[in-house]
Amino acid sequence: MNNLLAFVARFFHWLLLLVLEIISGVLLFQYNSYQGSVWFSSSNALVGKIYEWDAGVRSFFSLKRANEELSLRNFYLERQVAQLRRLYGDLTQDTTSLMRQELQLLNRFELVPAKVVSNSLDKTDNFITIDKGRNDGVQKDMGVACGNGVVGVVYMASAHYAVVIPVLNVTSSRISCAIRGRGYFGYLQWYGGDPTVAYVEDVPRHARFKKGDWVETSGYSSIFPQGVLVGKIEKIFNSADGLSYRLKVRLSTDFGCLRDVYVISDHSVSEQLQLLNNVQDSITMAPKQ
Amino acid sequence: MIIDTFRRLSVFIALLLVQVLVLNHVFLFGWATILLYVYFVVMFPRNYPRWAILLWSFAMGLSVDMFANTPGMAAASLTIVGFIQPYLLELFIPREAPENLRTAAATLGLSKFTVFASMLVFVHCLLFFSIETFTSFHWQHWLLSIGGSTFLTLALLMAVELVRK
Repeated sequence: MNNLLAFVARFFHWLLLLVLEIISGVLLFQYNSYQGSVWFSSSNALVGKIYEWDAGVRSFFSLKRANEELSLRNFYLERQVAQLRRLYGDLTQDTTSLMRQELQLLNRFELVPAKVVSNSLDKTDNFITIDKGRNDGVQKDMGVACGNGVVGVVYMASAHYAVVIPVLNVTSSRISCAIRGRGYFGYLQWYGGDPTVAYVEDVPRHARFKKGDWVETSGYSSIFPQGVLVGKIEKIFNSADGLSYRLKVRLSTDFGCLRDVYVISDHSVSEQLQLLNNVQDSITMAPKQ
Repeated sequence: MIIDTFRRLSVFIALLLVQVLVLNHVFLFGWATILLYVYFVVMFPRNYPRWAILLWSFAMGLSVDMFANTPGMAAASLTIVGFIQPYLLELFIPREAPENLRTAAATLGLSKFTVFASMLVFVHCLLFFSIETFTSFHWQHWLLSIGGSTFLTLALLMAVELVRK
């Protein structure tokens, strides 16, 4: 008996190996039968739970991308709505030519998604840095917008980064904008302080509009396409000289939590600018009479 | 003994999670996978009860199998690796070494440890991929898998070992 026990003790691990290998073998060859394998595959609760956590963590990191895409989509749809609204209003006129123009306008612009890497709100002249530069097609004087509305204009672009002058820049930001559905235009000016409020200056006296109307970019400046959201009219003042209106606008863009923005690159901008420069040159060069 | 068991258990869980959450998603060149969990078996010290090594190895193999949906494959091959580990270790242990010598590059010497680990990793990869290609046998793919996985696993294993020291 003792001999037997000693024998078993000595060769116990051989026996165990045999048993474990048989179990493995059974698992290996029985895997096709679904019933028996549920416990030993990833359909068991613990394994499933761990995979679920894993997927949760992974999806958290891919949220960034999803966000970016949604924001782009949002921006695109918003523009489309603006276009359609105008089309609808102008239905009585030559709709086919308008349609063609609108399509051309949409084709003219190209969006470069970018990420804000630095931002400030507290100064009078704020700047934003984004992570796209010349190599990505970003150039000086291109418009920058986010899903909620207008952000600013590219001031300087290096190879991989660009500095943007946002609306919240007292000395340098003048974005041309118009009142939606009415067409009267002015320029957007911020006077420091509250980062959610700016003013539209130089709106003509004869303009008809009301509180709560939306302000959007006018499309005159060739930096922004027409119809990028700016904000909502909150209050109407007379300008200091009494010749125009001054509108207090609640900005639709939240500069405090800016993450994903789009640089709007307009293929025809360079052409327009060149034309403008030529005109100015020819005026200054012309002999005085 | 209990403390040792707990430490082994935490290493077990850590290696398992690294394997199933990270390394199992890395297919290098389409044929090589890093099977780092072999490291767990390599680490058993001298004179660790052989039946315990077998049970640990089997548990590790089975756990990896559960996540990868390959019941029995890793378990079968890792159990055999666990079986030969103590025998193989005896060949590499220097004379007059303490009874419960830790298995590490620091105690065995780097070159000996490397050879020891590479043999175990190779055996595991050989068995694992042999079982995997059981049905459809492409011997080129089989050789590539064994060679590539052995090499990459060993590389990562040595990196971890040297960092641990």
